[in-house]
Amino acid sequence: MKRVILIIVTVFSYLQATKIATISIEGMTCPLCATAIKRSLKRCDGVIKAKVRLNTKSAKVEYKESTTEQTLLKAIKRVGYSGKIVSVESMD
Amino acid sequence: MKRRDFLKHITMVSISMPIFIEASLKTDDTDIKTQNIGKKRRFRVKYHFDIKYDEPNFPARLWNPMPYNAPWQNVRILKFNGNYDNFNINDDNSYDVNILYARWNKSNRAKVLDIEMEIETKYREVPLNLIQKASKQNLPIPKEVEKFLEPTEHIPTNGKIAQKAQELTKGIDDRFQKVKAIYDWVTEITFRDPKVIGCGTGDAKKMIESGYFGGKCTDISSLFVALLRVAGVPAREVFGIRLGKSYYSKALGKSDNRGFANISTWQHCRAEYYIPGIGWIPSDPADITKLELVENLKYSDPKVQELKKRYLHSWEMNWVGFNWGRDFVLSPKPEQFPINMLGYPYAEVDDEALNYYVPSSFSYTISSQEL
Repeated sequence: MKRVILIIVTVFSYLQATKIATISIEGMTCPLCATAIKRSLKRCDGVIKAKVRLNTKSAKVEYKESTTEQTLLKAIKRVGYSGKIVSVESMD
Repeated sequence: MKRRDFLKHITMVSISMPIFIEASLKTDDTDIKTQNIGKKRRFRVKYHFDIKYDEPNFPARLWNPMPYNAPWQNVRILKFNGNYDNFNINDDNSYDVNILYARWNKSNRAKVLDIEMEIETKYREVPLNLIQKASKQNLPIPKEVEKFLEPTEHIPTNGKIAQKAQELTKGIDDRFQKVKAIYDWVTEITFRDPKVIGCGTGDAKKMIESGYFGGKCTDISSLFVALLRVAGVPAREVFGIRLGKSYYSKALGKSDNRGFANISTWQHCRAEYYIPGIGWIPSDPADITKLELVENLKYSDPKVQELKKRYLHSWEMNWVGFNWGRDFVLSPKPEQFPINMLGYPYAEVDDEALNYYVPSSFSYTISSQEL
């Protein structure tokens, strides 16, 4: 029974729609800022992929629909930067 | 640029460098602080890299800053080897920064590089009377130096920086007198904040706008450089690393009784300004604040004031300089750019920069043996 539930949960999570957010970030000064932000974003539940770029001072984050944009902004704030959502695209 | 070309290039630079004045030992200055002022010093510097990452199977790229050659610092021997898949030595960037680049393909194996250099240094001082004489001539700034009047992302020349520079140099026409006015203010108002990570980010704008003047060497040097640029004096930070014992104070460099030092975290940023007719002048406002903090001395203390006098126009060479690049793009182009400064080894795993402020996690060690 446990195995069936696990399979259902796994399948459900794969089927869940994902979104991609582009976030502009203030306060980045060096490549280590990009690493800190990326790692903080990747620690959030539901984040599948995060790319942070110093030259554009922005992040592109792929995440599950169940995760909110506020969660992403909080993750950025947690490591000392401030983020602003530029766009959100649904990937379903 | 190939390794042979690089070596040829650095030898040529040392031969063709036109302006260098031998350090002069003042006869009335007999204390121990100056006893080795004219002596050449030699250091064997060893780097060992063993690049680490969270996962065992990863690729890596490393850009390590290498010293430039000049009459006050000379790389006599350079050897390196490792298990990299590719490497080059290049200065393909907007500041001609010398870089040893190594790349490892994605694999489970250790990623190792060893570099060994023998570096000869000599106390660097430009006599005050010659600086004053050149400054009075008010010669035009050469075209190739004009770049060091321009702002960069972290060295703005507008806003509060401009206001402060104008306030400090109001009524002063002579370039060197402007330098002195700015140097006096910077060395007095700034203080070393030990909580700042590494050498600091060198964000002159943040410092002046926040009104918080605590920082480390890059922060303090950047403030000095930004104010000088506004005042029409070309200036630049010079990134490098301390190599061993200072004859002035343990605060400025030390080694064990056999001249050995683990210098993995001894990166240090200094400054230079340019007076046409005499050239680049060495300076180090940040070490004034380090001396105050480490020896618990007041700014007015004679030992602090003596160092302040010296570091307006000299460098003790228990240090070697790498470059003066700010906010520039390395070659081959990394995933993250521009780089704020290259005083530390820089490495990336995919698009993640490794934490160069923590040698043990990166990982690297740098040691120096005075010969």
